[in-house]
Amino acid sequence: MTGVSKTSPLSRAAKWFDPRARTISTIGFILNRITALGLSFYLFLHLIMLGQLAQGPQAYDGFLATVHSPIFVFGEVLVIAAGFIHGLNGIRIALNSFGVGARYQKATFLVLLSIAVICSLIFAVRIFTV
Amino acid sequence: MSKPKVIIIGAGFTGVATAHDLALRGFDVVVVERGEIASGTSGRTHGVLHSGGRYAVSDQESAVECIDENMILRKIVPQVIEPNGGLFIAIDESDLAYAEEFIEGCNACHIPIQELTARQALEMEPNLNPKVLAAFTVPDGTFDPLRLALSFAASARKNGARFRTYTEMEQLIIDGQGNVTGVKVWDRTTDTHEEIYADLVVNATGAWVGEIASHAGAHVPIKPTPGVMVAFDQRLVQRVINRLNKPGDGDIVLPQRRMMVVGTTSFEVTDLDYVPVVEDQVKIMLERGEELVPGIRKTNVRGAYMATRPLIGGGSTGRSIARTFKCFDHKETDNIDGLVTITGGKATTLRAMAEKTADVVCQKMGVQAVCTTKEVPLLSYRDYYLQNN
Amino acid sequence: MSTPKWVVTFQIYRKKGNADPHFDEFKLEVSPDEYVLDGIERVWAFHDRSLAFRHACHHSTCGACGMRVNGAEKLTCITLIRDVTQDGGVLRIEPMRNFPVVSDLAVDMGILYTRMEMVEHQPVNSDAKEAIQPEARPAGPVGEEEDYIRLSDCIECGLCISACPISGSSPEYLGPAVLAGAHQHGIKGNEQLLKLVDSEDGVWRCHSAFECTAVCPSFVEPGWRIMDLRKQVIGERFKRLFRGSSPKIIDTMEASK
Repeated sequence: MTGVSKTSPLSRAAKWFDPRARTISTIGFILNRITALGLSFYLFLHLIMLGQLAQGPQAYDGFLATVHSPIFVFGEVLVIAAGFIHGLNGIRIALNSFGVGARYQKATFLVLLSIAVICSLIFAVRIFTV
Repeated sequence: MSKPKVIIIGAGFTGVATAHDLALRGFDVVVVERGEIASGTSGRTHGVLHSGGRYAVSDQESAVECIDENMILRKIVPQVIEPNGGLFIAIDESDLAYAEEFIEGCNACHIPIQELTARQALEMEPNLNPKVLAAFTVPDGTFDPLRLALSFAASARKNGARFRTYTEMEQLIIDGQGNVTGVKVWDRTTDTHEEIYADLVVNATGAWVGEIASHAGAHVPIKPTPGVMVAFDQRLVQRVINRLNKPGDGDIVLPQRRMMVVGTTSFEVTDLDYVPVVEDQVKIMLERGEELVPGIRKTNVRGAYMATRPLIGGGSTGRSIARTFKCFDHKETDNIDGLVTITGGKATTLRAMAEKTADVVCQKMGVQAVCTTKEVPLLSYRDYYLQNN
Repeated sequence: MSTPKWVVTFQIYRKKGNADPHFDEFKLEVSPDEYVLDGIERVWAFHDRSLAFRHACHHSTCGACGMRVNGAEKLTCITLIRDVTQDGGVLRIEPMRNFPVVSDLAVDMGILYTRMEMVEHQPVNSDAKEAIQPEARPAGPVGEEEDYIRLSDCIECGLCISACPISGSSPEYLGPAVLAGAHQHGIKGNEQLLKLVDSEDGVWRCHSAFECTAVCPSFVEPGWRIMDLRKQVIGERFKRLFRGSSPKIIDTMEASK
């Protein structure tokens, strides 16, 4: 295929995140990609943290102090929100792939996104007030 | 010995069909086209595969050409045709009065027709005007204009013809005796100029033939006559619906894909490169279309466009000019050798126009080769682009 | 004229040969009820004869005039200027993405046409009565279509491929129009087509952005069709699982027909 795109795969993939002139469906597509990247990054961090714990009680206490800082709590909320968005969106796509509701994917997306936002807010309130 | 070389100017219906015919007869063919395939009048045809019924009374030469070519195209290029037939319907007394002449004309031109009662017609096409008084079936059809042209171009290409699209003819190259020996072109994709030489140049530029021929000082009696067409976003009929009367404005409604197209008007212009769509004419299409298919009122306009017919005019104008085609050997008409012009005709008769032109080319160049385009099935239109890769 | 004229700036993508692409601006007086393609044709006719663009039928049956208008894929012959800009506004006209640019706004459609042929998409359908009635289709009743032969809904304009984010990042992906073509042709009993659709570059490559359906001017709904193909492919796989037949056996069965 000559001349389709001379750019690198990375810069081609960067266009995934450009929502200009696109519909709400692309927002779903972009959110799924961002949350996937975010969750992968979190998993990576999580493993490093676990590695830290193995270094003794002092390290454990230091770690607890860090994770109770507001920045980390906010990060936790983001992880939970990403989990909700990605999970619920994934259910929509899986259902669509089994031939369920593909015609109503826009409405399904908006409903599931609302649920994700509400659930994330509830968690956020609980985390910050505990 | 190398093949005799022919340059064809224009990749509209006549150009691509002539390229196909000449390539089959063993010529080395180069087609130069300033736009894409069928980007002038050809692409903008409404797309009726005429049975000839429309011309059976006033223009029997065209009518016979239409019915013959209609049957051939159905056979050689079925992949671009909706072959669902057509109706001529009478709505008022003047239409009814035309019926007798119509039957006689169709019989004279061997166009197979069948008379229907109003009820039968409405059973076939429930969305017709319920006031229909009488109807006749005819073997009309609909085609996709671009894909019809591409099918011919694909087949020509397979037999060695080269297509230079976005390549505009700037000048005819003329030797010391005033004869045409090639063309000077401008490649618009690279903004470069070059000269292409050939044994013969065919001017197949439809409504623009006069302009092209004038470069060599030759004259073609062409009368460019645009008409408007309006596409609607529903398909309320399955057959081509014609008004049973003398050809007039807005008297054809045809189905195409999920749409209907209503055509057309007839007027004259001087600037061919851009003909604006006149709002009043769109309104006429709506009103006249409704007389045939009242449901049009409830549909939405999807597109409105203009196409410029290449009519060969003497003194007469518009509707009264015959729809037949003509091939001019400028050696005979203007004493200029090396240039042949083909113009006039209908989209339906493109193959016959090509045959006539190729015959003239063969005779001029002393080549003995018979036309086989009546029998050779065309390639899929997709092959034209497949061959790019 | 009944409607007042607008002044609109056409910003048109230009590319000639190996020179670097750039945008040219043309200020035109237009009627808001003209189509975008009319404006582009006027730029060619009266301002710059070197402008290259594809167009033929001017009423959405040929699929030649697909372009990006202010970033969104449009069939310019049926896109009213009124719907995409305002008086004094700008129309940024670019060629479709994910196709090689021939020059200016003209692209090479070879990839799409080759793949449509690969999936045996039929240009005319004798059985036009489709099992589906898409919700998005304003084109209304098509009538009782028992025996009528009709040109297919897909006009092979390529807009869906230009709008698809995956076609952009993976040129090998068959693309929405092509998979929709396979769906319309039917994969039942067509082992070769099933294999193609179920391949790495087939239905599983889609990531549900549904932009194809959003830009399709012909209401083909490629997004829905890809999802329905997935269902069919899953169904076929299940059948195989329980029948315990390997593809090899099916191949020989096909061959012995």
